[in-house]
Amino acid sequence: YNVHSGTEISHTMDKSITLPPDEIFRNLENAKRFAIDIGGSLTKLAYYSTVQHKVAKVRSFDHATKVNRDDKLYEISVQEEVTARLHFIKFENAYIETCLDFIKDHLVNTDTKVIKATGGGAHKFKELIERKLGLKVDKEDEMTCLIKGCNFVLRNIPHEAFVYAKHADSEFRFQTTQPDIFPYLLVNIGSGVSIVKVESEDKFERIGGSSIGGGTFWGLGALLTKTKRFDELLQLASKGQHTSVDMLVKDIYGGSYGSLGLTGDLIASSFGKSATADKEFSKEDMAKSLLHMISNDIGQLACLYAKLHNLSRVYFGGFFIRGHPVTMHTITYSINFFTKGEVQALFLRHEGYLGAIGAFLKGAEEDNPNQYSWGENYAGSSGLMSVSPDMNPMQRARSGTFDMLEMDRLERQLVNLPLLQDPSSYIPDTMDLTEDALAREYWLYCFEEALDGVVKRAVASQPDMPEAAQRAEKFRQKYRHKLQTLRQQPL
Amino acid sequence: MAECVRLDSSTSSHTMDKSITLPPDEIFRNLENAKRFAIDIGGSLTKLAYYSTVQHKVAKVRSFDHATKEAASDKLYEISVQEEVTARLHFIKFENAYIETCLDFIKDHLVNTDTKVIKATGGGAHKFKELIERKLGLKVDKEDEMTCLIKGCNFVLRNIPHEAFVYAKHADSEFRFQTTQPDIFPYLLVNIGSGVSIVKVESEDKFERIGGSSIGGGTFWGLGALLTKTKRFDELLQLASKGQHTSVDMLVKDIYGGSYGSLGLTGDLIASSFGKSATADKEFSKEDMAKSLLHMISNDIGQLACLYAKLHNLSRVYFGGFFIRGHPVTMHTITYSINFFTKARPQLSVFISFSLINGEVQALFLRHEGYLGAIGAFLKGAEEDNPNQYSWGENYAGSSGLMSVSPDMNPMQRARSGTFDMLEMDRLERQLVNLPLLQDPSSYIPDTMDLTEDALAREYWLYCFEEALDGVVKRAVASQPDMPEAAQRAEKFRQKYRHKLQTLRQQPFAYGSLTVRSLLDTREHCLNEFNFPDPYSKIKQKENDMALKYYQKAVKSLEELSWEQRQFALVRGVLAGNVFDWGAKAVSDVLESDPEFGFEEAKRQLEERPWLVDSYDQWFERLKGPPHKCALFFVDNSGVDIILGVMPFVRELLSRGTEVVLASNSGPALNDVTNGELQILTERIAAMDPVIHRLDKVLAMVVRERQTDLVIIEGMGRAIHTNYYAMLSCESLKMAVIKNSWLADRLGGKLFSVVFKYEVPAGKPSQHSAALSPL
Repeated sequence: YNVHSGTEISHTMDKSITLPPDEIFRNLENAKRFAIDIGGSLTKLAYYSTVQHKVAKVRSFDHATKVNRDDKLYEISVQEEVTARLHFIKFENAYIETCLDFIKDHLVNTDTKVIKATGGGAHKFKELIERKLGLKVDKEDEMTCLIKGCNFVLRNIPHEAFVYAKHADSEFRFQTTQPDIFPYLLVNIGSGVSIVKVESEDKFERIGGSSIGGGTFWGLGALLTKTKRFDELLQLASKGQHTSVDMLVKDIYGGSYGSLGLTGDLIASSFGKSATADKEFSKEDMAKSLLHMISNDIGQLACLYAKLHNLSRVYFGGFFIRGHPVTMHTITYSINFFTKGEVQALFLRHEGYLGAIGAFLKGAEEDNPNQYSWGENYAGSSGLMSVSPDMNPMQRARSGTFDMLEMDRLERQLVNLPLLQDPSSYIPDTMDLTEDALAREYWLYCFEEALDGVVKRAVASQPDMPEAAQRAEKFRQKYRHKLQTLRQQPL
Repeated sequence: MAECVRLDSSTSSHTMDKSITLPPDEIFRNLENAKRFAIDIGGSLTKLAYYSTVQHKVAKVRSFDHATKEAASDKLYEISVQEEVTARLHFIKFENAYIETCLDFIKDHLVNTDTKVIKATGGGAHKFKELIERKLGLKVDKEDEMTCLIKGCNFVLRNIPHEAFVYAKHADSEFRFQTTQPDIFPYLLVNIGSGVSIVKVESEDKFERIGGSSIGGGTFWGLGALLTKTKRFDELLQLASKGQHTSVDMLVKDIYGGSYGSLGLTGDLIASSFGKSATADKEFSKEDMAKSLLHMISNDIGQLACLYAKLHNLSRVYFGGFFIRGHPVTMHTITYSINFFTKARPQLSVFISFSLINGEVQALFLRHEGYLGAIGAFLKGAEEDNPNQYSWGENYAGSSGLMSVSPDMNPMQRARSGTFDMLEMDRLERQLVNLPLLQDPSSYIPDTMDLTEDALAREYWLYCFEEALDGVVKRAVASQPDMPEAAQRAEKFRQKYRHKLQTLRQQPFAYGSLTVRSLLDTREHCLNEFNFPDPYSKIKQKENDMALKYYQKAVKSLEELSWEQRQFALVRGVLAGNVFDWGAKAVSDVLESDPEFGFEEAKRQLEERPWLVDSYDQWFERLKGPPHKCALFFVDNSGVDIILGVMPFVRELLSRGTEVVLASNSGPALNDVTNGELQILTERIAAMDPVIHRLDKVLAMVVRERQTDLVIIEGMGRAIHTNYYAMLSCESLKMAVIKNSWLADRLGGKLFSVVFKYEVPAGKPSQHSAALSPL
């Protein structure tokens, strides 16, 4: 059970790890509709399951006939109910074989014949998947899946999108879910950059792109610093000073170039100083300069395309972004610089799952998943990690290993109360605890204090069941762990 | 200052060798009366600009006072050579390494003590300020870099023909030049120095930096240096030109195994620059990395330029800065990128809708891009002289021309071009404007044939001009019998012009589009340079005198013909007269061997109808209609042509009630009749013939005032080499005799074939149906 343990992962191709089946690949026994998205380094698996769980029902006594038998207005019964659940699991490509073996062993539903696959790696691992799982790999267009997934999370997951602000009180500022999500611009920064305009559920167009993307940061970074790992390059960049490598406006003009409105600190030429200086440059400084160069460029292109197409919502995704505060910061900075606030750089909590979600949706079209509302199951989802390398190196590593998202189908589609004056600006919660540290402290304390009472109540609610106390204890542990996580990472 | 003169050596520049000596009269010319210095010091090159006045000889004609000296001479007019002063702009470019030597040289030769200030711009102005002030004793007055750049750009776009060009690596001709447009605004200037500035220019004084990027030439240089350990910019480009980007870049097919059809991405498209170096453990070659870097940066700039152009609705995008400066590799990649982002992608519907409105975005480059800052700084300093009020022409004799700097082709010349490079511009006597009668001035391309694009034609014409050179030299010497050193000067002329021809053979695009007209201009510039203002003046004088004797006889014999016969005889007369042309080798041979070759003989030589191009019948029909209000007649040669061919024709028009404006060259060109000569001739004929009277006004004004409705263009030069396809807004008549067998061949005719092209602009009803009877 070595899954959460540490910094040394993935690159060893160590197949000997064992997965805790019930914690990661849950409900495999009645899983169906598999989909897989294999990227350059991460694999995302999606499936659909049904979960049996108990619900408390109340039933009125028949007062006409039994009026005097009892004082109680209604009786309580516990019933089994079946809910549809979507499972999304993300793990490093290194584990793919082990994972496939595990899934095969636990897959009992023999109806499943096909697995939807997308991502550049779908191609590469096709044969392995077919052999291991005995399922036919059915490839789906990567961009279509990405957009489908994006539409799905924007519509279904509250607070899916957020703005990143490094120096603000709260690093992440979440956006409320909007009933109308279209049109928007999706800037997917993988090895290269794709800029896609999404106009409706089924209408999108790749309006632009650039070859200067995550692969460029990684590739040039590797050549310049001899550091082969993407995360390490980001770590280097977070420690560097770009001003020693970049030529600033003030390096040329001695100060600002007032008549053109260029401040002295503006980068005039990325790597401009290394053209003529004979000195050695530090790895950190070069990595930082490279990061700025690429982020600024993508930010600028995104802005120009957004302006050309009159779009104000721009979502950034892809492995270059994927929860990396450094890149979210530089991209945000660049967007703010180029649009002076007109366009907001938005990021997505579940950005990494978009392709898998989309591929899954393609395969599940007959189940009409878009017809229902889905809610994130907080118990089964890992949540967004604060991955600032300085703050939480351990958790970063963990986050890179296994990460889960589970969504339950809600009994009925949720819509805004039609009496709301302006549904698009409706924010149900009065207080955002992520932005108010004191309030957060207080409420987390409250919920923790109340936990003992809740456990007591829970046990008492099932007097007939002897194992209730044991289950209640498991609940206490899990909820306390969640509260502790939230204390450290309110987001 | 004697030592070793090394101007065009391949060593140069990088050694910081201060001992070189400059050949003063070849580079810093006319320093003795130079004023208004300006200097633009960039990261590696210095550009110096100044204004001088040049004394040169011009041939003048002056009518004899016939009242008193009727008998003194047979001659109609006398020829004198006078000194004239022309304003000239000098621009010199050299590597920063030579700056001290150059400043010393200038100081030594600067005699004009009025100069107190030197305008300076460029990043280096700052750094070298103290040195310049100390060396030259002038106060350095700094000017805003961007303002200078834009001012310079506007100036060259307006004044230098074929300044802008499109680069096409794999086309027949690498450079495709754009004709000068009367309306140059608005445009986008993308200046790629260390970084990139993207400037929208809306008018002479209004520009705005609408964008920029930190990924520019400095990034190519800086990252290139880190990756390849090659510190020199040119060497990096050289490496790049030899590399394969596909070994470093991740292509679409590397990810998807082929194209990504649904998104319209071809397999060869770069998906991720340097994407392969992220994971591959191998070593990459310097060449490949440099190439990948070049692609990455050029594509990025191209894309940004396109996006800004579209956002601001601009279709003309000029690229400049040291990253571009004559480097074919960068011009190619930028052009490729622009083409890619605009038209090569039909699936980008937005681009299509934009291009439908505006036409496609074109990547344009400038021949004198390196001089923009210096020109602008100079113009700032010369504002009181109103340089923008005049027209300026490139002096082909004093300018180096654009070098083909493809590193593979001409490594030597690249080195030379990097050392000293010159541009000289002469102030033209009057501002040049397009003829107001052109149907569409913005699409007017005077030259019929672009010799840069037509290798066979180029070969032929260069050969022709070289063949004719001996004759021209002989004429030149003969035109100055009293000057013993004429032979020596003529020899110098021969060498210079031959050298230019050789340069043009190797680099046809050196001065923009190569045309027969530009070859002639180059010859005139070179002749002037060596003080042969008009080698044909004596011959023209002799011919004019001779022809004039027959004028009345010719007119009389025409009057005896019927109206119908006369119209044809007049046209034949103009055509026969046009055979008398010293510029055409086939004719100059005959003329020289047999000076008695007569007008009648010429008529016999003419092709019988139907002519090669023959719209005589339509013309004849038109003559039956009402007279034209005013005809503008562009005349060609002296002697028989103007006097016996053109004048009787003009006389007929006048008798019909049509006013006639004669247009001729202001300066000499072979045996073309010049304005000065024409005035005397017309005056003289007017004295003999009451039908003829004289006009003298600024042409464009006259044309408008008189409501010109007929333009007549005569001669090979104006009617075939140029203007053949020019569409006029009124009726036009183009008449010429082909006196060149090669050209005749090309046009499907033979020697002395006739081109008689009468055109009525579309939409204008021809008037002959209105009046059926002759007047």
